[in-house]
Amino acid sequence: MASKDDKPGGFAFSRRDFLKSAGVVSAVTATTSPAEAEAQAGGVNAVGPGDVPVRLTVNGKRVDLMIEPRTTLLDALRNRADLTGNKRGCDRGACGACTMIVDGRAVYACSTLAIDVQGKQIRNVDGLATSTGLHPVQQAFCDKDALMCGFCTPGFVMASVALLEKHPSPTPDQIRKGLDGNICRCGTFSRIFEAVSSVKGVTRG
Amino acid sequence: MASPNEPQGQPPAQPPAQGGGRGQGPAPAQPQAQGGGRGQAPPPPPADPKYHWAAPHSSIGTHVKRLDGPDKVTGRAKYTFDINRPGMLYGKIVRSPHPRARIVSVDLTPAQKAPGVKATLLWRDPADTARSIVMYQGDEIAAVAADTEEHATDAARLVKVEYEVLPAVIQVDQALAGNAPAVFAASGPAADNTPGTPRSNVRQGQTQETGDIAAGFKQAAQTLEETYSTHVITHVCLESHGAVCEWDGDNLTAWVSTQGVNATKDGFATGLKIPASNVRVITQYMGGGFGSKLGAQDPQSMICARLAKQANAPVKLMLDRKEEHLATGNRPSAAARIKVGVTADGMITAFDAESWGTGGAGAAAGFPLPYIYQIPNRRRTHKDVFINTGLQRPMRAPGHPQGSFITEVMMEELADRVKMDPVEFRIKNLPPEAPNAMWGSYLRQGAKEFGWDKRHPTGDPAPGPIKTGMGVAINTWGGGGSQGRAHVEISSDGTVVVRCGTQDLGTGTRTLVAVVAADTFGIPVSNIKPEIGDTVYPVSGGSGGSTTAAGISPAIRIATVNALDALKEKIAPALGVEPASLVAANGRIQVKDNPSKGMSWAEACKQIGPQPLAADGAWQPGLSSVTTSGVQFAEVKVDIETGIVKVTRILALQDCGLVVSRLTAESQVYGGVVGSLNFALFEDRILDRNTGQMVNPNMEWYLLAGMSDIPKIDVRLIDQSERGVIGIGEPPTVPTAAAVALAVRNAIGVTVRSLPLTPAKILQTLAQRRA
Repeated sequence: MASKDDKPGGFAFSRRDFLKSAGVVSAVTATTSPAEAEAQAGGVNAVGPGDVPVRLTVNGKRVDLMIEPRTTLLDALRNRADLTGNKRGCDRGACGACTMIVDGRAVYACSTLAIDVQGKQIRNVDGLATSTGLHPVQQAFCDKDALMCGFCTPGFVMASVALLEKHPSPTPDQIRKGLDGNICRCGTFSRIFEAVSSVKGVTRG
Repeated sequence: MASPNEPQGQPPAQPPAQGGGRGQGPAPAQPQAQGGGRGQAPPPPPADPKYHWAAPHSSIGTHVKRLDGPDKVTGRAKYTFDINRPGMLYGKIVRSPHPRARIVSVDLTPAQKAPGVKATLLWRDPADTARSIVMYQGDEIAAVAADTEEHATDAARLVKVEYEVLPAVIQVDQALAGNAPAVFAASGPAADNTPGTPRSNVRQGQTQETGDIAAGFKQAAQTLEETYSTHVITHVCLESHGAVCEWDGDNLTAWVSTQGVNATKDGFATGLKIPASNVRVITQYMGGGFGSKLGAQDPQSMICARLAKQANAPVKLMLDRKEEHLATGNRPSAAARIKVGVTADGMITAFDAESWGTGGAGAAAGFPLPYIYQIPNRRRTHKDVFINTGLQRPMRAPGHPQGSFITEVMMEELADRVKMDPVEFRIKNLPPEAPNAMWGSYLRQGAKEFGWDKRHPTGDPAPGPIKTGMGVAINTWGGGGSQGRAHVEISSDGTVVVRCGTQDLGTGTRTLVAVVAADTFGIPVSNIKPEIGDTVYPVSGGSGGSTTAAGISPAIRIATVNALDALKEKIAPALGVEPASLVAANGRIQVKDNPSKGMSWAEACKQIGPQPLAADGAWQPGLSSVTTSGVQFAEVKVDIETGIVKVTRILALQDCGLVVSRLTAESQVYGGVVGSLNFALFEDRILDRNTGQMVNPNMEWYLLAGMSDIPKIDVRLIDQSERGVIGIGEPPTVPTAAAVALAVRNAIGVTVRSLPLTPAKILQTLAQRRA
């Protein structure tokens, strides 16, 4: 399944593995690391191995989890909090289906450790619509048929929200650059572009 | 290991004979990958005229917003990947790192002792000599299930597999030249002992011959001899293959990311040796399939169900991106060495081709050649080449993008030889125009709109490094379909439920179901509740071969007309009219010639009573058809200093019979264009020639277009309402790659005869010309 330095069973050391183990190491040994500081600020006294308490703020609500320090933000929300709106497409920060907004910035949640974003404001697609209706970006995607299978859509929606909160009236180039980190395999880019271009009234974040 | 004679998961419909019955390659046998095709029943009789599509339409052909848009943009839509069940475990498969090896031993014990592990299974038993050999990187060996995904991943790594690494065939050229180890030969170890397992690295196909080749070449003023080829790409469905399986005693409920819920139900029954009536398969939403999810007995589904049984708990087993690239299908490569002759005035008189391709470790690699164009004297011999990679599966218009590229580049070179405009040259060599063969008209219409008259001859004379060019290519596809059944219920509150055991891959099937029903009843689409993606609904076909729309629309039409007839019967006495005098329109049921005499839909439905009014329908001929035609124009800019191609404009003209759901049909064309643009410029399954390892099994080195790579795309859907429903998923993804390649040729003045058009290849081709 992978390269020559495979362990028995055939799994290579991937970028994800590095990310995860690096996260564990920093959490365990580097006592002054930001991750540790945040973990402590969130009420965590011990980190790994094994499950540790992690406190996240997702869509304005507190989410308390017991997870391994290597758990990504995406997996924590999808597997432990049943917040499955954002998807896992590539699991290595290339397709963008996992895109969430953390403290106002679009991030790949598949390549972000949950333990590292304690104390930050996390927004995923599950919390975007309000009781009064869809977010203008969501509405525009529906109006312009800017989706097909829909698996990339939550990531595109969040990337678009992040873009529009930074540039409420983006130029075509800003839209292209802002959404270049996301891939739609069904190929509905033209309509996503049209949808994002049509959105009015998103206030600067 | 699939038999080469029975490629896995072929599309349910063989593209039927094209314009003039031409252009068919040695396509592999195509078993019905459907649940609806049990037994060989005689074809149903033509539909009664009362069911025919009746204009004016209230919703058919209009821009209806995708019904499940709000669920998808909010994240409420639950894909298989999103199903979380109480007490659910996570499954992980152990796969071969080697392209070919004998499994000497597998030790599951360390995995069984690992934290959280609840079940392990051996998929490939070393003691079973027939199954002990893995034939490609990523071949399944064993599996584990654990309480968390992290534990499952850890445990899978602990499974100890001892391999005897065997020689493998990696390069098609070596296999063709006979320089590769005889991996698939009778003398060597066979893939397994399944009947039909290849007994040679190369399977020689039959020669197809029409007319008199020698006479044809005698008539030719010019001949051209060249070799053209396309590469292997993978489907890269954004939602990976996988399942969630949950047992209740001997009954299995499986959420599966599949293009065919009914075939998958049968697949579980066969694979697990349980009655089909014990199995329910659910696919409410799926993140793309493109042909790779037609398999009825995919290993990961069977493994998931067996792990769940063993652990007595629900199991989720979704593949990761690397597994997707390696083991869930690909578009086979294609190549042809062609000698072709043309008269001075541009008639192609003779065509002689040797073609080959690889679909991996034992699967066929057929494609149509020549594609569409009419050549009176022609011969073609095809070979399937077997190498140690994952098996091909149908990928959006199987064979056609390959046949299109090879044929269209040849056409362009011929047009230059006889100094004809490429559009005129194509028109001269087309089959006669017919409703399913409209290329000539579309070429003229498109050329006008695209500004073809501004195209310069081959090689942009403009100074500077940026060269501009235009190209054109044509397409066809069968579509059609006959595997639809529907059940309709109208309740006294006026709501309508339509149940149909089809599934929505992302094409818009759910919306299409509602559009057809709403049109019959003359009520808003929002009144219709489509229920699909579940084997509890009336059995319909798998979604492949662009057969869904034409398979289910007639069934829904028939069911809804039956329901409407029953409703008319109920209310006619109250109105004092004959039921036959009533029509449904504008939210009312009223006398046809006297609209004021009638009642609103809501009032009419109040007459139904507590038991919903129900009716059924099954596909009958007369409401659908087969075979589409289309044309695409491309404009590119090429930087001859960097080799980078930027596609600037695409114009797509496409017919698909009666356009049912216009907005989603247009989206299919946009998507098809982008898919083919990816095929032309970016995607490539790159193998290490020595180790047989795929070097880019991910999404950062397996390149796909992003927003900045997308040209201006103009979609022109051409209505042929009188032909009935045909289907549009596949045809638009056929010609873009060829059109782009020819635009590049027009820009830089040299021909790149293979895909993809990478910057390196373009620079190399330019350098060869200079040399």
